Formats: sequence, C-alpha cells, structure tokens
Amino acid sequence: MKNTIKIERAIKNMTQESLAIEIGVSRQTINSIEKNRYIPSIVLALKISKVFEKSVNEIFELEEED
Amino acid sequence: MHKNHQDLRLLPVHFKKVAFGIFILSVLFIVLTISKVIPVDKDIVKTISKTGFLVSLLLLALTKNKIEDELTSRIRLKAFSSSFVFGVAYVIVVPFVSLLFKDGFLSDKGVTEVLIAMFLFYFIIFYSMLKNR
Repeated sequence: MKNTIKIERAIKNMTQESLAIEIGVSRQTINSIEKNRYIPSIVLALKISKVFEKSVNEIFELEEED
Repeated sequence: MHKNHQDLRLLPVHFKKVAFGIFILSVLFIVLTISKVIPVDKDIVKTISKTGFLVSLLLLALTKNKIEDELTSRIRLKAFSSSFVFGVAYVIVVPFVSLLFKDGFLSDKGVTEVLIAMFLFYFIIFYSMLKNR
C-alpha cells in the first residue's frame, strides 16, 4: 500500500513531528508509514485524512501485490 | 488518543522508576549480604534477589513507553511472541548443551533463569525493533 502523506505534508508545510503530535503518535511512526514499512490502522488512517482534509482513499492507495 | 479495545493494558510510565528501584534494591541486598553487613542464609538471599529481579523485569516489560502508539504496541507483541519462542527453544536446547559439557555450568538452569533469559531476549528484540522502526 502506498500513500501520499509526504506530499500532503509538504503542501500543508508540516513536519513529521507536527503531524505526529496532532494525531498522537511518535515521529518514527509517521516516518515508518511514509516509507511504507508500516500500514496504519483504520483509526490512524482516518485521523491522518482528517488532518489533510481529504478522504482516506485519496491518501492511501492499494498496490498490485496487496 | 482515545483508548480502543486493541490497546494493550500496560502500566503507566512512572512504573519504570518503581522497576529500577526494585532492581537496585535487589543488587544492594546481594552486595550487603556478600560483604556480610546483613547476616542472612545464602538460599534466602538467592530467592529474594531472584524474585526482585523477576518483578523488576516484569514491571519494565509491562510499562508503557513515553509515547505508546499502535506501532509500539505491535513491536511489543512481536517481541513478546519472539521471547516465548526463545524460551521454548532455550528449554529444549539447554539439556543437550549441558550434555556436551558433562553436567557443566549449564546443567542447573531453573525456571527463574529461563524467565530472566526470556525477559532479556524480549528487551533486546523490543528495543532493537523500536530503534529500527
């Protein structure tokens, strides 16, 4: 599963740290999600989408192997 | 962050201080008895210090990190399952190793030693995975 969190962060001029604080996780967790090392839960995905004011489908996208 | 049913029921962060306190007290107790400041039977010292180490390790393992999120919980569960497999493998392998050493230093491993080894393995896995997340 790929995501556009890094791009959305750049648009909103947010750091990993500020996004992490806003959704209540560690900066390393945001980094892991951005690098596709960790797939977040639905709750966390919804929180991320709420911050960027977009739907979950716009931020997270399934890949061929999923 | 709101709690949900998937959250592990862990102890608050300040229990880490309690765990380290118990650990230091156990070490202090051993030191004081070895230096004969406290005259206590060797078996009693062994039992009390083993219990102290186990309680402190258990508290450390069950205490939350400063930032405990879903990735940390996932890593924690992975480390717990790995340490369980390690414990079983340890119990299976150790008798054969002690056979090689002809009842040498590895022959008298009790439950406490196995549990302490499991906890140490858990901490190694947990903190290395946490560092490389």
